[in-house]
Amino acid sequence: MPAERLAYSIQEAADLLGIHYYTMYRLIQRQKIKTCRVLRGKLLVPRVELVKLLQTDLK
Amino acid sequence: MNHNHIPTEQEEQVAAEANAVFAEQIKHFKNACGALQDIESNLTTIGNEAFKTALLSPGRTIQTDDGTEWRHGLDLSNITSICHRRTEAGLEFAIVECLSLPSGEQKEVLNSGHNVRDVLRDFLNDQKQVLNLWKDDVKEQVKEHLDKNYPRQDMGIVVESFEIKMSRAVSEIRSLAQNQSHGIRI
Repeated sequence: MPAERLAYSIQEAADLLGIHYYTMYRLIQRQKIKTCRVLRGKLLVPRVELVKLLQTDLK
Repeated sequence: MNHNHIPTEQEEQVAAEANAVFAEQIKHFKNACGALQDIESNLTTIGNEAFKTALLSPGRTIQTDDGTEWRHGLDLSNITSICHRRTEAGLEFAIVECLSLPSGEQKEVLNSGHNVRDVLRDFLNDQKQVLNLWKDDVKEQVKEHLDKNYPRQDMGIVVESFEIKMSRAVSEIRSLAQNQSHGIRI
């Protein structure tokens, strides 16, 4: 994961986690992953959220 | 939305280009809508089958992340299944999602209850929210793509065409459900 990135698109985040992007939207809907937006743009997954997911489970 | 606007040749070209860029995502989106539509249109059959399976077959044990134990019944997709367990109040059903993440396997109860059809309905409603979230995000992705590639040009009609296409796919699930409920009343 490049250190300079603060956030990732849904597609990028899904690729990093090895899951389908539909599953990413499902996790977001269930508030298992927090997202942000730049202005009113597309959803972004903060790097910190991905690190959290990669280190722990989703309980 | 300006319904009277006739797309210019350039807008049509841009729409074709954007369709090619987002083709895969739209295909997956429509497949997801189709899968939900299949569940919705066969809700009674699936519910009956899940109930029958719960009565006749013990099924393999699944322990979910909240510590509860369920018996596997029917698969709804490659990651979701209808499970059941016996409680003092009778049979309880749950939609369980099994996800393989780098941190390990996650088994989560998405929806549960004693009436399997209600559980399926709750699941479908949640999934429709997911589709709307996905739809809104694709709209923003298309907007971003167009702003980057066609700066200072109003390509709102192209964005709208995506929104309409995706909204239609979601609403088809709804209309099917409405038709079914009318059928039940008769």
